[in-house]
Order: sequence, then C-alpha cells, then structure tokens
Amino acid sequence: MTRHPQHVSWLEVELDGGPDYGLAIAPHTLNDLVAVLRYATDNGQTIQVWGGGTHSGFGADVPVDLIVSMEHFAEVEHWEPDDLTILVGAGARIADVEERLAERNQTLVMNERPGPGTVGGSVAAAISSLRRGRLYGVRERVLQVTLVTGDGRIVKSGGRVVKNVTGFDLHRLCVGAFGSLGVIVSVCLKLWSTPPAAATVTIDSLQQGRVITRPLALLEVDGEKQVFLRGTAKEVESQVARLGGRAEPGLLWPEDPSGNFKWSLRVPPKLTEEGVGRLPDGWSYVAIHDVGEIRAASPSLLGAAELREWAEGRGGRLVKTLGQAGEFDPWGTPPPGLDLQRRIIAEFDPGRVINPGRLPGGI
Amino acid sequence: MRAVLGDEDVLTEPIELHLFSKDSSLMRGEPVCVVFPDDAREVSEVVKIAERHGQPIVARGAGTGLAAGASPTSGGIVVVTTAMRDVDIDPENRTAWVGAGVINLDLSKEAEQYGLHFAPDPSSQAACTIGGNVGNNAGGPHCLAEGSTTSHVLGLEVVLAGGEIAVLGGTAPDLPGLDIKGLIVGSEGTLGVVTRVLVRLLPIEPDVRTLLMDFSTVEEAAKTVSDVIAAGLVPAALEMMDQQMVQAVENWLHAGLPTDAAAILLSEVVGETDGVVSQAELIESIARQNRARSIQVAETAEERALLWKGRKSAFGSVAQLAPDYHLHDAVVPRHRLVETLTAIYELAERHGLTMCNVFHAGDGNLHPLIAFDASDEAMNALVHEVGEEIVALCTKVGGSLTGEHGVGLEKRHMMRMNFTEIDLDAQARLKEIFDPLSVFNPDKVLPEGSRCFDFGGGRRELPDGVWV
Repeated sequence: MTRHPQHVSWLEVELDGGPDYGLAIAPHTLNDLVAVLRYATDNGQTIQVWGGGTHSGFGADVPVDLIVSMEHFAEVEHWEPDDLTILVGAGARIADVEERLAERNQTLVMNERPGPGTVGGSVAAAISSLRRGRLYGVRERVLQVTLVTGDGRIVKSGGRVVKNVTGFDLHRLCVGAFGSLGVIVSVCLKLWSTPPAAATVTIDSLQQGRVITRPLALLEVDGEKQVFLRGTAKEVESQVARLGGRAEPGLLWPEDPSGNFKWSLRVPPKLTEEGVGRLPDGWSYVAIHDVGEIRAASPSLLGAAELREWAEGRGGRLVKTLGQAGEFDPWGTPPPGLDLQRRIIAEFDPGRVINPGRLPGGI
Repeated sequence: MRAVLGDEDVLTEPIELHLFSKDSSLMRGEPVCVVFPDDAREVSEVVKIAERHGQPIVARGAGTGLAAGASPTSGGIVVVTTAMRDVDIDPENRTAWVGAGVINLDLSKEAEQYGLHFAPDPSSQAACTIGGNVGNNAGGPHCLAEGSTTSHVLGLEVVLAGGEIAVLGGTAPDLPGLDIKGLIVGSEGTLGVVTRVLVRLLPIEPDVRTLLMDFSTVEEAAKTVSDVIAAGLVPAALEMMDQQMVQAVENWLHAGLPTDAAAILLSEVVGETDGVVSQAELIESIARQNRARSIQVAETAEERALLWKGRKSAFGSVAQLAPDYHLHDAVVPRHRLVETLTAIYELAERHGLTMCNVFHAGDGNLHPLIAFDASDEAMNALVHEVGEEIVALCTKVGGSLTGEHGVGLEKRHMMRMNFTEIDLDAQARLKEIFDPLSVFNPDKVLPEGSRCFDFGGGRRELPDGVWV
C-alpha cells in the first residue's frame, strides 16, 4: 500500500488535531473529490472524512491511508430566510453558520456547543440538538443531501423545500451512516425561527419542570435540573413565574461533559432518570429528559459494561464516542439486519474505502 | 392462498376485485386476488406465494391515495392491511405500536385518554390508515411545525423479500447503524409490506387559537405568511384558500367565510395559554399590517371545528363545480409562492379551465385543483396535460413533484424533473437490494429505465475538468 500516493499528494494539508496516521488532503472542488474517491477505490486506499474532528472518536479507530478534509466545502451556498431553508457545504462550521442565521432570528437546530464541529460531521454522526425533544433531532431537519459515493458518483437525494416525498429518502439513510454511503458534500436543512425572548430556569425537581407541556428542553447537568424556555416576551415571563425556581435570561446551554472517555447513552425516554441514576461514580453528564439521550464522560471504562448491559436489556445502547477502549466494543450489540446494511453500503462504496470497520458490526 | 389465510380473507369474485381495482386516483388495475392478512406472519406467507407465482403485491390501507400508489396497475395481489388494527400505547414513553390498518384519527382518539395524539393529520385522516401514512410519508396541515409522518415513526415491523419479517428501530433514540426504517417510510410499498408501526405520540397542547384572516390580494396573504415566520413564529398550521375555493366551500358550509376575499389564511397556534394568546396577537398585528380585511379568532372548540371544516372539506365541495377533479400536489420554495400561483392561474385561464387552490402555504405545498368532467375524453387529456405543466412550473422554481401525496404511478414519468439519471440509478439500486424479484408494487415511484446508468465497465467516462 502506498502511504503517500503521488496522485493526491498535491492536495496535502496540515490538519489541526488530525489523527496520527494517514496523509491529510483537502480537495478544492467537487471534481477533485470525485477523482480522490475513484483513485481510492481503484487503488484500495482507505479514507476518513474530516470536518472539525469533533466526532472522530465514534466507532472503532481503524487507521486509514487518506484523511480527506472538507475545509474547502464550507460555503453557505443558498440561504432562503423566507423558506426556512439553507443549503450549506458539509465542511461549514456550525458555529459560523449559526452566527449568520442569528442575524435573521433563525437557527439550524444542531448542537449548541459545536466547537469546531461541521454541519456534515453532525449529519454523518447523527448528532442532535439539546432541543430535540421540542424541535426534533438532526434526522428530521435534513431535507437534501448531495454526496459523492465511494466509486465517485455524485448523488443527490431530497430537495430544497421543507416538505417533499419525491423518491426514496436516501438522505435519511446518510444521517448517522458515518460516510459509509459516500462523502457528504452539501446539506439542505430545515431551519427554525427563534422567538424573541428566552430564559433558563433552574429547578429542584423534574416534576416542577413538567408544569410546562413542551419546553424547549428539560436538561439535567451533573444533578442540576434546568428548563429552557423560548417564546414571546409575555409567554416566557409567565412561564418563568409558573415554574418558580431561579431564572436567568437567555439560553445557557451546557458544554458537553469531558473526560478520557465519552459516551452516548440512548434509552427509552421514560428511562432517562433511571439512566442518570445508573451512571457509575465519577461520570459527568448532560441528560435530555423525556428524550432518552444522556451524554456522559468518564475517567475510565469502569462500570461501562454493567451500564451497557442494563441499557441493552431495555432496548437501548451505550455508545462510546471518544477514547481508546481496546477490546470494549464501541457500539455494543450490533443492530438487526446487518446483512441488509452491508448490501446497501456495497452499492454505494463497493471498495469499502470510506471509514471501513467503523460502523456497528465492524462494517 | 386460502389454505394460509382462510376462505374469508381471500377475495376473487369479479365484483370484489373491482372494488379493490383502484385507490382514490383515476387509475385502475385488475388484481388476481385481494387478501386480508391478520399479521406479519400471514403477510410473510403471502409474499412467499407471490414470489413463487411471479405475482406483484400491492399493499393497500383505506385506498385514499391520490397518486395510484395503491392501484394494482400491474395486476397481482392486493394486500389489504385493515385487519391489522392493534393499538398498544405506552403513555410513559409517548409511543405506540400500531397495526398498519389502524385509521389515523382512531389512533389519536385512542391516545386522547393519555393526553396524547398522533401529529400527522392528512385531510383524509378519518379514513386513511397508519400503514398508508407510512407508505406515502403523509403530511397534513399540522406538519408545518411537527414534520411529516417520517418524523413520527420510530420503528417498523415490515415483511421483506423472501417473506423475512424484520423489526427495525425502537423506542430509544438513535439506534446505531443505517436508518433503514427511515428509507422504508415514504417508499410507497415498493420495498416491502409494513405490518406494524412504532409511532411517536405528542402531548395534546393545553391551549389553541385558530385565526381566519382574509385579504384583498393573494400577495398580501403570502406576505403575511413570510412575515409571521420572519417574526420568529412557526405556527402549528398556516393554510391558504383562494377565492374560487372559498366560494365553493361557503356555498354549502355556511360558515360565514368571506366569499369576496381574494384569499383567506387559516392559522393555528398551540401551546400554553400565555403563549398562544401572545402568538395570536402577534399574527393578528402582522395580518393587519398586510391589510387583512377581517380577522376571526375561534373562541370555542365548536368555532374552531367550523373553521377547520371549511379547510378539510374543501376537495369534497368541488363536486358543485364539476363531477370530477384533478388535484395536484407540488411544492415550491415559499418565497416563490406568489409568482408560481400567478403563473398557474394564467395557465388555467389560457385553457379555459376552472381552477381552485387550497394549500399548505406555510410550507409552500400547493394543491392546485382543476374541476372538470372526466367523461369528456378531450377534456380529460387537456386537464392531465395542464396538470403536468403545473408540476413543471413548480419544479422550475426549485420545487418538488410532491409534498405529501406521493409519486405512485401518476408522477413516476416526471421523476426526471427532480433527479438526474445518476440519482435515479442510486434509488433503483436500493429497490433492487430490497426487492430483487420485483414483487413489491413494481410499477411505482421509479420511472422505467432508472437502473440504466452505467460507468461502462472498463475505463469510466469522467466529467469535464476532472483530473486523474
């Protein structure tokens, strides 16, 4: 295997915080990217797609030959405020896009603390907003995806309108597929309007928080419970009064917990509280109540196997999202229908060059 | 078939076959038999029999589809899902496992005792089934804020090729691996037969305000829609009806609709009382800025029901204008709404056709409707031709073929308006993986020749400008 292939080496770049393997390259154009993928497929060169690197800890850490940075696919190609849609390059940083959207009181409804994370990265890893209980997860916000398949076809699915049932929803299949169908080049997302007033209210019990039927979010951060509210000024004011508790203006979103290992615990919504109770000592967390998602961090693997057993016994999963876990499977028990998944991926990435082995079941 | 399902659940008499020979579209087929399986196991046997005999399978719920998705146009076996009607609600998780044959509105009625409801609400919700909703990824007025059916499907039990029964997804969020259920939703029965659905239920909001606003011009109504969204509001629903449609509805409903208005807007906000009151005030003031002539706010459940009745019975009231209607379902980017409507009216006028519009203005989902007499063959041809031109107008401004009714047979030949050959080939590959024997609704969604894109075996043709 050629470690520094001549055909792509002219695209070489320095990558901040990139992995310690592979040649980092940054295609400039769609044609570059098509050529890189064909080159990879024809020569058995494996690829990892790189956005902000924030979700690169998902799945098995399989070294690859090429790290393909999406930094040149970072344009906001088309923003239609009246339509609540945006077409944006996969390599666009969420924080940059949100800053622009805020000028017109709109939001992507993606992760609130994205760091250097990109739109394409969050779509590929299915990372949702903390507001997902009210405004739905990233799957429900993707309207169109353009991708370059492993064998270099440019395929588009969906459309740039907020409602569309034309053809198969291949774009939904791309959410959480970690690039296994192809490299996501651009995404059209359904935006949301942000009403003028907002407040974050710290409360004593979840029961107290549930006085409001559908708040923007009901979170628990290392034991502290908070209700996030957004609406007209009158609406927020009166809801704050009904909740009691300590209110602060604005939405004070928590940072994701940090530690040597990061986790995503996914359980049926009603088990969120119990899930929090079952986190081993020393784990920090952000729990999204009534949704069933708990983001956690731990100093070690201690207690992870027991937590996973509990979650899987209830139809849930404990997914490792960061850290060298050795023999500990990052995904846990693979989902049913692995054969079907393999056959789908084979049609899009026949050489299995993009993120091979990273998916559940070692696909 | 009778040995597996029992005599009663297999229909073969000509009159019975005729009843199931079409859905609510105008396209008819000739089924070999019509079957009513009770569960996935029986569907699995049906699939095996169909594969053995090379017979296509068309799944059908209530047959309310408008794009011929459930018309057995290639003959074969019509699998009616209406015997699968179990509802198992899990109030604590706000989910339910629901048989494919359960009627949409019945699910919400059943869930009401827990303070929950199923959000997708197509106009046909009193008749259409959850299985059909999943097949078409059905919408409805309230999907503006809550999304279409796919956003409310967490899992599926589906019978795949070979009669394999698969259970996909689950109550916990983001189960790892490819979201295959998300692909099956909206695939119109072409990838398998859905037998049970795990749905998300939403809490019934504590309060609601419904507003009816009328305008002297379509532009002012459309501007109101844009301004509401710009103000940071996404109402639960934002519906528009044009003058022709208002007149047809008011003629029999007598709900006090303003028949001299160029357009009326129906908007609904839901949530906590304090929220809906201030949101309704905001919408009112925006409508007044855009010169709304009058604004009615429904104060009681009865008043609200009456306002909605006008909207939901709109298509039925067209019967007064002509014996038949041809209804289209296309989507335009919201900011191109007014110009598209103007072009559509001009088109209808040029051909001397009676045209009404009632549609989901909030998400740009148009439903231009042409009232006509289908027994006049020349007229029939003209109406279909104009219908296609309307869809073409919508796609030219960046819109899509269909927002909620599906592609079915009606629009499959138009798929190239939205997709390239390579896009269609990718979709056709998915179809082949799921249905190698082409048993499931074979002549629907994908146009003929979709699976034709070929790199040419040896050295592939490269696009212009590609370096190697």
